[in-house]
Amino acid sequence: MKDIMGIIFTTKDDLSLRELTSARAVAALPVAGRYRIVDFVLSNLVNSGARNVGVIMQRNYHSLMDHLGSGKEWDLHTRNNGLFILPPFLTQENGGEYAGVLDGLRANFDYLRRSRQELAIVTGSNMVFNMSFEPMIRQHEKTGADITMLYTKVRASNMELGSAQKHAHAFLNVAEDGRVVDMEVNPNAASYNNISMNVLLVKRTLLIHLVDGATAHGAHDLDRDLLQPSIKCCSLKVYGYEFDGYCRPVETIRGYFRCNMDLLDLGVRRELFKTMPVYTKIRDEVPAIYRSGNSVKNSLVADGCVIEGSVENCVLFRGVRIGRGSSVKNSIIMQDSNIEEFVELENVILDKAVTIRSHGRLIGQMQYPIVIGKNVTL
Amino acid sequence: MNDMRKKSCIAMLLAGGQGSRLGLLTKVVAKPAVPFGGKYRIIDFPLSNCANSGIDVVGVLTQYQPLELNRYIGSGAPWDLDLTNGGVFVLPPYMKAKSGEWYRGTANAIHQNVSFIEQYDPDYVLVLSGDHIYKMDYNKMLASHIETGADITIAVRPVPWEVASSFGIMNVDPENTIVEFEEKPKLPKSNLASMGVYIFTWPVLKSYLDKDACDPASKNDFGKNVIPAMLHDRLKLKAYAFDGYWKDVGTIESLWEANMDLLKIPPEFNLSDARWPIYARSPVLPPHFIGQRASIEHSMIAEGCEVNGTVRKSVLFYGVEVEKDALVEDSVIMPYARIEAGAVVRRAIVAENCVVSAGCVVGEANGDIALVGQDTALPEGCRVLAGEQVDRLDVARRRHDAK
Repeated sequence: MKDIMGIIFTTKDDLSLRELTSARAVAALPVAGRYRIVDFVLSNLVNSGARNVGVIMQRNYHSLMDHLGSGKEWDLHTRNNGLFILPPFLTQENGGEYAGVLDGLRANFDYLRRSRQELAIVTGSNMVFNMSFEPMIRQHEKTGADITMLYTKVRASNMELGSAQKHAHAFLNVAEDGRVVDMEVNPNAASYNNISMNVLLVKRTLLIHLVDGATAHGAHDLDRDLLQPSIKCCSLKVYGYEFDGYCRPVETIRGYFRCNMDLLDLGVRRELFKTMPVYTKIRDEVPAIYRSGNSVKNSLVADGCVIEGSVENCVLFRGVRIGRGSSVKNSIIMQDSNIEEFVELENVILDKAVTIRSHGRLIGQMQYPIVIGKNVTL
Repeated sequence: MNDMRKKSCIAMLLAGGQGSRLGLLTKVVAKPAVPFGGKYRIIDFPLSNCANSGIDVVGVLTQYQPLELNRYIGSGAPWDLDLTNGGVFVLPPYMKAKSGEWYRGTANAIHQNVSFIEQYDPDYVLVLSGDHIYKMDYNKMLASHIETGADITIAVRPVPWEVASSFGIMNVDPENTIVEFEEKPKLPKSNLASMGVYIFTWPVLKSYLDKDACDPASKNDFGKNVIPAMLHDRLKLKAYAFDGYWKDVGTIESLWEANMDLLKIPPEFNLSDARWPIYARSPVLPPHFIGQRASIEHSMIAEGCEVNGTVRKSVLFYGVEVEKDALVEDSVIMPYARIEAGAVVRRAIVAENCVVSAGCVVGEANGDIALVGQDTALPEGCRVLAGEQVDRLDVARRRHDAK
């Protein structure tokens, strides 16, 4: 097992998720019935041997901190190393607001310097996938790369890259030997179908050196200001490592909806949960109760649910109640939401603790589900 | 002077018994580690009761098949018992300077751990067993013990008269003072059963344990020796009446019944009570999945299950698979068991990691509870009759006989 540390950056890309991210970072967005998005990348790091993980936070990080706690569930509550929560702070050199990943890394130089690991994995936090980084590390060492970037092929099944997609994505041209020879950042029409997963592997001391050099020249953006120029003028050996399993970025409501619905597929469930365990915060809930009158088809149901109505093609989070005579289809119902009696729901996303009173009716579109914010009663 | 902080009351949990009435279920695990209610183990109930009652030192006395139990208890974190000052401690028998021996009885087990208890200099010691499903505030009982100035307080619960003869029965006077204790009396004079929950004033208990240890004729058992000796010496023994749900799950039938109690509406025993949560070591599993052709009626299903068949009035523990056209009815299916396509399971307990292969028929609609023991793979088309118990060895034997 290699000597690696993880740095999770949690602030980008939370704009197109409407109400879902108004009070929480996208990393803390509930997904798959009992997880938060950050659980996947955090578990990947831990399962790959990382014993030191820093989480750089920026806005709306209360629910994320609440979720991560001491890091106990990821075995990161150790005397040496462990989980480091890195919120923004104000000093003379540091404005507290990060314009990009580089600023966030620059602000946490002390943490980076104090860490002892040889290699660092710098990653975003909105990607749902299950993977061991060990083969990537082996390739990194074999090729003698300065930086190895993780990428995946663009597939209809894993990306929503329609015109609505306005998020910074980087596309890579990867040569036969694995070397990255060109990189496009946020193109209107990409020339390559290798999309960066925002995960890069680099020697810790080199990372400090590169970030220092870039920020000293006023740079903020990791992709545009550091990686792209290094690739263009071949100043660094940048290699790509392809991940060919299931992976979905969560950056739009539609992507979020699809990501949850993907889990109704046995193959996706196996890939996400049987390859390596995905750890998450424990909540003491009783197993789900199915009362007479229920009819549940093709759905994912978490502990603590009590179901008396009919449910089809849904993801029910912990502690959801579906009352008598209610019918819920193609929907995502988050933790502790309460669907009373004779309610009809289709293509909706209910955030945590939403109550739909008896005889309520909400019908959304598959392509544009209705989103109801946290704690709302309808 | 030691650096342990004094505790007013600590708990000692007797978890060393085999629980032989549970047959094959306790062949490789101690009774307190037997699964219950979809995600719990029997020991979660006394441990959660301690945590909720603010009793934060719990010694768990183990002896019989302790591996699973040790692993399950671990650091005690699920019950918030991983503390700097206190916590949960697994106490197996150990060698002393001159000799070492197994725990010979319940009283002997406590006696061998006097030095553990004295580290905390307690005023009172709560003695518990790992055999029952119940939610109880031990603090209220302790308050009553202190108020009455009793030497020992025993929790009692009224049981139906017709089954009273299978319990330890307390005969009390109008002030709730215990005047007589009868173990499984043929003609019970009262229906107050001992719940196996005792609070002792520690110096009194200690002197009686010392005395009991010197008596070579003693069986070193609380019910048989220590409590009768205390009664004989006219110590102050008080009964503390408890009227909540309390179920001894010492037999296959009663364990099955207690699981079924969870399915009643309203449940006879409510596990989801925010004021009195029952904690458990949770598995790392995704939510369960209910397939297109599945049908679920009146059941409890835990995380990580994949259900594509029919499940009626049953409890499925985490990680269970029910394949298409399989039927599970009036049954308890323990963690990670797989019920394959077309198999039928009725009125049965299927233990951990079992495989009930295609076409098997386990149990009968109106018979005694059938049991498939841990790690058993029933071959295709196998039959397990009502009331029958089978495990790996039986399966191997049947195969051999068939040849």
